[in-house]
Amino acid sequence: MVLARRSVVHMLLVAMLVLFLSPFGWLVITALKAPSELRAVPIHWWPHHLTLDNFSQALTFFDYLGYARNSLTIAVIYSTLITLASAWAGYGFARLDAPGKRLVFGVLLSTMMMPQIITLIPTYLLFTRAGLVNTYVPWVLWGLCGAPYLIFLFRQFFTNMPKELEEAAIVDGCGQIRVFWRIFLPQSWPVIATSLILSFSWSWGDYVAPALLLDDDRTTLAVKIATGYVNEHGTGLYTLVAAGVVVYIVPVLLLFLILQRGFVSGVATSGLK
Amino acid sequence: MRRAPRLGSRRMRRAGAFYVFTGPWLLGFLILTAYPLGYALWLSFTNSDGLSSHPRFVGLDNYREVFTDPDTLDSLARTGLFTAITVPLTITAGLFLAVLLNQPIRARGLFRTLLYLPAVVPPVGAALTFKLIFDRDSGSANGLLDMFGVNGVAWLADPYARWVLITLTLWAAGNVMIISLAGLQDIPRELHEAARVDGASQWQSFTRITLPLLSPVLFFQVVTGIIAALQTFAPLLISLDPTPQGVSAVPRSNNLIMINVFTQYFANSRYGYASALLWVLFVFIIAITLVVFRLSKGAVFYSVDPEQEKTRSRTIGGS
Repeated sequence: MVLARRSVVHMLLVAMLVLFLSPFGWLVITALKAPSELRAVPIHWWPHHLTLDNFSQALTFFDYLGYARNSLTIAVIYSTLITLASAWAGYGFARLDAPGKRLVFGVLLSTMMMPQIITLIPTYLLFTRAGLVNTYVPWVLWGLCGAPYLIFLFRQFFTNMPKELEEAAIVDGCGQIRVFWRIFLPQSWPVIATSLILSFSWSWGDYVAPALLLDDDRTTLAVKIATGYVNEHGTGLYTLVAAGVVVYIVPVLLLFLILQRGFVSGVATSGLK
Repeated sequence: MRRAPRLGSRRMRRAGAFYVFTGPWLLGFLILTAYPLGYALWLSFTNSDGLSSHPRFVGLDNYREVFTDPDTLDSLARTGLFTAITVPLTITAGLFLAVLLNQPIRARGLFRTLLYLPAVVPPVGAALTFKLIFDRDSGSANGLLDMFGVNGVAWLADPYARWVLITLTLWAAGNVMIISLAGLQDIPRELHEAARVDGASQWQSFTRITLPLLSPVLFFQVVTGIIAALQTFAPLLISLDPTPQGVSAVPRSNNLIMINVFTQYFANSRYGYASALLWVLFVFIIAITLVVFRLSKGAVFYSVDPEQEKTRSRTIGGS
């Protein structure tokens, strides 16, 4: 009976897997089709003219690598700054005490639930006035502030570190900043990794902020692939879209497959702690 | 207060250090969150169009309009419906997958990884992929239907566009799955064994033990799910129209609140009214969050004081 149950579970999982992975399948198949057979009737489930032309065309139809560099620049700046800034603030919440801490921590918790898109448009209006539109300064500013969720992750980690560690260092005459920098930060590499991965993929995947803040030539790959593959009649070039999307998402999927642990622990902790 | 007085100066230094460490974030919060929100609040009481430097104060007119304008009421209703459909569906699907993965089976890790994969795909990639699948002439959805003699369904237009958006949202059920699976694995095995000894069926054991113990995790999912659903925006735009200026071309059935907000800001230049819409949505989200947290009181527990943390006994299960 146990065996029968296990095989039912297995069958259900395989069915789910087919369902969940089939969109990837169609994406790749479309990317491998010649444009001429895109709208074939009846549909071609497998390309009759298998071709890689879409990939080379997708990369040259607009300056794909240039936009990828924009995305990468923003993502690297943002994820590095936000990770450091979040560790910095997380240390304060975990190891230090002050009047008003309860209030400040309450603010932190409530902003964790803060719907970001609500502040985005007013922020955009203010950035326009400050002349920060079409620069990468907004991402620097967002990075420097840290993210409540990442601050919380670091706080959880630092809270669980032994008190003796810090006391020994203080007796040795280290200030809090050096305690943080020399002792706590190096110990927290699992959280650093999680934070880097999460913030990198937020930035790489973000659409609305770059669409609002950046002009066409400085924008990110996410915005460009959503809007760029159109011919002079305004028709979408779907085989190029497919190839462009494959090249855009593969690095993220690979990053996930290689560094799974960081991704999963980051997501899973959010529901538990 | 609790410390001995001779440590007073050290406490002062610590207090200073606390603000040195949390200050940058706090400052950022004030400048990049609180101030924009306040600015939007001020705009919402004016007739600002973003151009004229002296917008007129119009009191509560914009808010009155939010609750009387048929187009806005329509988008609010559609957003409510979308949320009411996707949140339970996503949580049920994610929980279902988590329960399957919690069985002792072969290649569990592989199944988990692959089922989670779609949730990692950046929103733009996911939306464009679904656009390809549901395209009227070249998509696999119509290719499949064609074999059953149904052809030429315009999935990306009314009235079907809503279901494409819902399917797209469901594709990322892996997020719920991972979080629920972690929750399931936290439940002590002995509880289920004891129940079995007492003659409980699988279903009873699931509804009486698993679900209550998982409730904090599920409550959290409900809150974040609702907040995410109410803010849905990017997928709508990308999957249905190739340009960001094409907000107003989004099919009626996907006329969610954020579409309305962007249309008012950028197509109609009604900054005042759009800001009022944002604030209504904001208050709405806060209210829902508070209600859900009130309902789950005792289930989700945060401690403020790190020292308290170590001695805390974790509260599990709903009240």
